[in-house]
Amino acid sequence: MGILQAVQVTKRFGGLTAVSMVDIDVPERGIASIIGPNGAGKTTLFNCITGAYQPEEGSMSFDGQLLNDRRPDQITALGIARTFQNIRLFGEMTALENVLVGRHHRLRSGVFGAIFRPPRTRREEREALGDALNLLAFVGLQGSGNVFAKNLPYGAQRRLEIARALAVKPRLLLLDEPTAGMNPSETTDMIELIRRLRDELGITILLIEHDMRVVMNISEQISVLDYGVKIAEGTPGEIQNNPKVIEAYLGRSVAGFKDVEV
Amino acid sequence: MAGVRSGLKSGFAAGIVNALIVLLGVHVLLGDVLAGWFSLPSPQPGAWLLLLAVAWWGGARALREQPEGWKNVSVVGLLAGLAHGLVMGVLVGVLASLTAEGADIRQVLAKVSPEAVDLLTFGLSPIVAALMMFGVMTLVGVVSALLANASTRYRWGESIAGVWQNALDRIAALPSVQSVRRFAHTRLIVYAVGLAILLVLPFFAGQYWNYTLGTVGLYVVLGLGLNIVVGMGGLLHLGYAAFFAIGGYTVAILTAPQFGIEWGFWVALPIGIILATLTGVLLSLPVLRMRGDYLAIVTLGFGEIIRILAKSDVLTDFTGGPRGVRAVAGPALFGIDISSEFHFMYLILLGIVLVALISSRLQNSRMGRAFMAMREDEDVAQTMGVYTLKYKVLAFAIGAAFAGLGGAIFASRNQFTGPEDYTLLVSINVLCLVIIGGMNSLPGVIVGSLVLKGLPEMLRELDDYRMLAFGALLIVMMILRPEGLWPSQRRAMELRESSE
Repeated sequence: MGILQAVQVTKRFGGLTAVSMVDIDVPERGIASIIGPNGAGKTTLFNCITGAYQPEEGSMSFDGQLLNDRRPDQITALGIARTFQNIRLFGEMTALENVLVGRHHRLRSGVFGAIFRPPRTRREEREALGDALNLLAFVGLQGSGNVFAKNLPYGAQRRLEIARALAVKPRLLLLDEPTAGMNPSETTDMIELIRRLRDELGITILLIEHDMRVVMNISEQISVLDYGVKIAEGTPGEIQNNPKVIEAYLGRSVAGFKDVEV
Repeated sequence: MAGVRSGLKSGFAAGIVNALIVLLGVHVLLGDVLAGWFSLPSPQPGAWLLLLAVAWWGGARALREQPEGWKNVSVVGLLAGLAHGLVMGVLVGVLASLTAEGADIRQVLAKVSPEAVDLLTFGLSPIVAALMMFGVMTLVGVVSALLANASTRYRWGESIAGVWQNALDRIAALPSVQSVRRFAHTRLIVYAVGLAILLVLPFFAGQYWNYTLGTVGLYVVLGLGLNIVVGMGGLLHLGYAAFFAIGGYTVAILTAPQFGIEWGFWVALPIGIILATLTGVLLSLPVLRMRGDYLAIVTLGFGEIIRILAKSDVLTDFTGGPRGVRAVAGPALFGIDISSEFHFMYLILLGIVLVALISSRLQNSRMGRAFMAMREDEDVAQTMGVYTLKYKVLAFAIGAAFAGLGGAIFASRNQFTGPEDYTLLVSINVLCLVIIGGMNSLPGVIVGSLVLKGLPEMLRELDDYRMLAFGALLIVMMILRPEGLWPSQRRAMELRESSE
């Protein structure tokens, strides 16, 4: 029994079935990957898990609690955070403020607290600020806290997205192509960072990734989607030699040709 | 050769601008204003100053394609000057000969009087005057091009925009300012001094200026309220005057004798604010799932509905209909009847301080961050744990409460309120001042109100041209400073560690 379980999840857009009868089971404190060609339904599955979409069929549960019919902010409050494929930071807010938004649901002060600033609110804000600074340091962004998110370099923006997601205090982190657009050395740093998230913070990781070097390097479990259907699942070694996966990635004729060769 | 085209284009452009200035009589206007200020005997210097300034701009602008060497520069400047001189020479020649023959051009162009033409010709014969204009403009073209090249700062648009920022930066970089900044209580002292000035100001401003500044102040209250909806929350609201109307009408109906309730202002005020807030909540409910343009259209309709309801015959018994409500009561405070513009200034100041304090507290809180996150990206905000529907309702409610306060004071100050006080133009004006001042910037709202509501009063000397000048100013401002006059600055929360 993993921490995240998706059973027979199906999401349709009109006539198109973006995700079809997919089962995913992510073990606690594991690093799992979802791979597949473009348009395979990977991000759609993420959107179903985080509540942005409601699936037509199937159920998803996190730590025994059903995720269906919950709002995105409620799902976040359960301890699931995510990053986005195309970076979506709050551009006109500082890096620190971005992180503090991630902490939003853990804080309690409302209109009254904001206007009158009772000691409780002050304490809460002080602690949140301290935590946010620590998180920035954790992802290597110390000193950039006052910079507008839109003014940060690309790699730093990816890291800030992770820091913002970490501010949620998640137990499960969904990373949507965390190394997209990065050069080899940045990619290596990112792999290192993802490992630390699991090893030091004990966070379960589920990631979508196209870079096979990353996927094979850090994943303990890989699920392969093609046209919305899960076609394979297993360890990196098993996936690399799975003929269905090779076919999905390289096309039928090449796979057939390979069989002849062998 | 590089620059020939830009030289000619720039010269013609400046020539056309100057021709329009002459045909609209703007040179006479400026000449009169300057003559009045510096007690000159004639408007001629002011008039020529304007024409030469435009010619100068034409010559300097001609260097856009950056010709190399002083020879090329002078050729380009000469071309610009010749083009300009041609336009203006012909114009002056035509105008002068028409005037000389006794034709009254004023029948077609109201401002082209014989005196206005005389300012240009110095009373010379048409041919000589035209040649003189041609010569002067050509000369100015060459000289300005050469000088602009020498100073290498011919990108006027950028440099003008830069001057303001540079001045701010330089002041901020002064050692004395830096050391003052480090002093922890500086902010408090600045606020205290500012407040002291504001408290003393009404004594020196006459009734007229107290009224004008009071209007500016009311718009500050409205601007700060709309800033929460638009600047922080990113919800484009075009019917903001409706909340203003509800505050105003509540106080009017509850205090004016014509409805027989006649409660005091201080009882009516909180009721007005509460009703406005409730309206804000009610409006927000149907539009919760709308975004951007659609939200703007619905709120626009809402604003008009409230005004038309107030005006309608059906509700005349409750709202006074098109004739409005007369004899709205003024408040009394510590035994003083607040009825003069002078006293209302203080009430308005009190309102501003209250509203500004709440705004600034909100901005730097969990609520403010949630509003801003919602403005930046609604979906992501929700994914990060912000229940955006709740914050939309809150933004509308708080914004409406501020407008209710503004409306209550407004109706009470005018001792009258009617549907025409709450037209679409009010909503547009408030939105404009938020944008011109700088979105989500509290000082920006104050600067924006001064510019938008105060400046037209200061420009009264320009009478007929007031709105023209005002419009031109707004356009220039938005081109040079699209982020607003006083853009918002986020609080620096991360302190630089000295150990690094």
